[in-house]
Amino acid sequence: MNLQKPGLTLYGLFIVMAFLAAAALLLGVAVSSILVVLLIYAALAYSINFITGMMGYVDFGHVLFMAIGSYALATLVSYYGANPLLGVGAGAVLGLVFAFGIGLVILRFRGVYFAIATVVLVLAAYNIVLQLPQLGTGGEIIFNRPLQPLAPYFTIWTIVMIEIALTYYVNRSRIGFGIRAIKSEEDAASSVGVSPQRLKLIGYMLGGLFGGAAGAVYSWSTSGVTAGPAFDFTFSLLMLAMIIIGGVGSSIGPLLGAVVVYIPSYFLLTSVSQAQPLIIGLLVIIMALFLPDGVVGLLRRSNDRLRLVLE
Amino acid sequence: MVAVELLVRDLAFGLMLGCVFSVVAHGLNIIWGVVKVVNIAHGEFIMLGAYGAYFLNLFAGMNPLETAPVDAIIGLFVGYAFYYAFLHRELHNKEMITLQSEMVTLAATFGLSLFISNLAIILFTGNPVGIIYNPGILQFGYLTVPLAALYVAILSVLIIAGTWLFLERTFIGSAIRAYAQDVTATELVGADPAKVASLATALGFAVTMAGGALLTVWVPVGINPLMGALYAPISFVIVVLGGPGKMWGSLVGGLTLGVVIDLVQAFATAQIAYAAAFLILIPVLVFRPKGILK
Repeated sequence: MNLQKPGLTLYGLFIVMAFLAAAALLLGVAVSSILVVLLIYAALAYSINFITGMMGYVDFGHVLFMAIGSYALATLVSYYGANPLLGVGAGAVLGLVFAFGIGLVILRFRGVYFAIATVVLVLAAYNIVLQLPQLGTGGEIIFNRPLQPLAPYFTIWTIVMIEIALTYYVNRSRIGFGIRAIKSEEDAASSVGVSPQRLKLIGYMLGGLFGGAAGAVYSWSTSGVTAGPAFDFTFSLLMLAMIIIGGVGSSIGPLLGAVVVYIPSYFLLTSVSQAQPLIIGLLVIIMALFLPDGVVGLLRRSNDRLRLVLE
Repeated sequence: MVAVELLVRDLAFGLMLGCVFSVVAHGLNIIWGVVKVVNIAHGEFIMLGAYGAYFLNLFAGMNPLETAPVDAIIGLFVGYAFYYAFLHRELHNKEMITLQSEMVTLAATFGLSLFISNLAIILFTGNPVGIIYNPGILQFGYLTVPLAALYVAILSVLIIAGTWLFLERTFIGSAIRAYAQDVTATELVGADPAKVASLATALGFAVTMAGGALLTVWVPVGINPLMGALYAPISFVIVVLGGPGKMWGSLVGGLTLGVVIDLVQAFATAQIAYAAAFLILIPVLVFRPKGILK
């Protein structure tokens, strides 16, 4: 693998993204309203990929950053009449700041303890938001704003593009090697000169930044935010499921996982759609036990050419 | 005086709630302490235990206390199956569980929790159900205690004491404790590690499902497919507070949590109480990572 030159994986991902952009422009509002959710899912999957995928720290509470972003945008747009783009920026910055503060404390815990800390933080935050009158009764803020569907669409499209490029870059850079070393054996990594605390914090803050941005676009596209769904663990679980199914840590995995998780849920008949989370659960069990590197890993092992190309 | 009476009442209820929290978390504690695996689907097995009690009550007319042993026996089999389906591949031939294996078990049991809760929604529908069980009340001066809650509290403590006695005083219990300390050494003295680990897992599941049955007394009309989402995190906090593998730790953690929730609720709101209960975990993990017990 030549690390200097971008490989086929990156070009392939950019072609897929170009298709998504063209689809929204040419096929109209109905299609873009389906695809915007797919892109939000992909953005969330890439954001948790920086934490769970690359560092191997299982984060059950990533929905926290999504909620922070959602509330940032909803507050700015609904109370101050700000431009939603400003809200997305605020969501991203707040996600980053919270990730910095939270990460300083909980990244000291390893394995299971980290996972549990992320769970309790979401539950605590949910109960606190319900107490804050500034965030609406029941944590509900709804804004009335004529929606141009293409604006959130291309915002989240841009976010996913940045995430793909950054994931690809990090995976090949010094930081990426350090982060992967942490995933394999943290103590050994620190003894050969990797600084786990610093790298983990960088990964966690990237996750918070993009999680916040994606959450902001989510509340933009749904014109509001409510505490129950905003802190719903389902989103956390879907994000994790996406990267486990797609392939943890890789550059293609999150997008692949988002397609696998989201597209069937849209096209399955309503009678079958109830079974969809059931199937996702089953897929996650099978992947975790038998295919720990997901669909990407399966493809890489099946074919020598693919092994060289897929990252 | 009224304030003091209310405080005593809140404390009494907090302690009784703490007892049932303890037993619900105790199964997780056993598995975590011995096999060193955290079952993310723990809450779903509490939920199954509660539904077990509900159906036994519906079809056999048993009260929640009588359903607990039946649930426990079912739990034994479920635990064995769980060990061989999910843990055996990762654990056998390993001296200590690696971080990598830990991730695998976290992800796999997380998938299991998604699977079970959604299967339960399809099978049991989302409507909450409940068991009416009211054996009367007990009057302590001005303090009125419902007997059902008191029975459940006593039974919870007995279950924890029973598992402690089993682990401390029996031969198989010694083998389980040996496994918790050193897998290779256990093998050297002639015990089959897989048998010991599967037995400990089965014991943990038995307690978990019996705990789910006892919990139905506290959630009279609240048994629903998603109840695990609340009781799993509560169990995680309790086990960390008490320290994984310490049998009495469940009781210490559970009582702490029960009292904190009821007392904070007396001064603030239920939301703040639960936020506080969950947030205790962070300073405990920072300052006493092995639990508040010595």
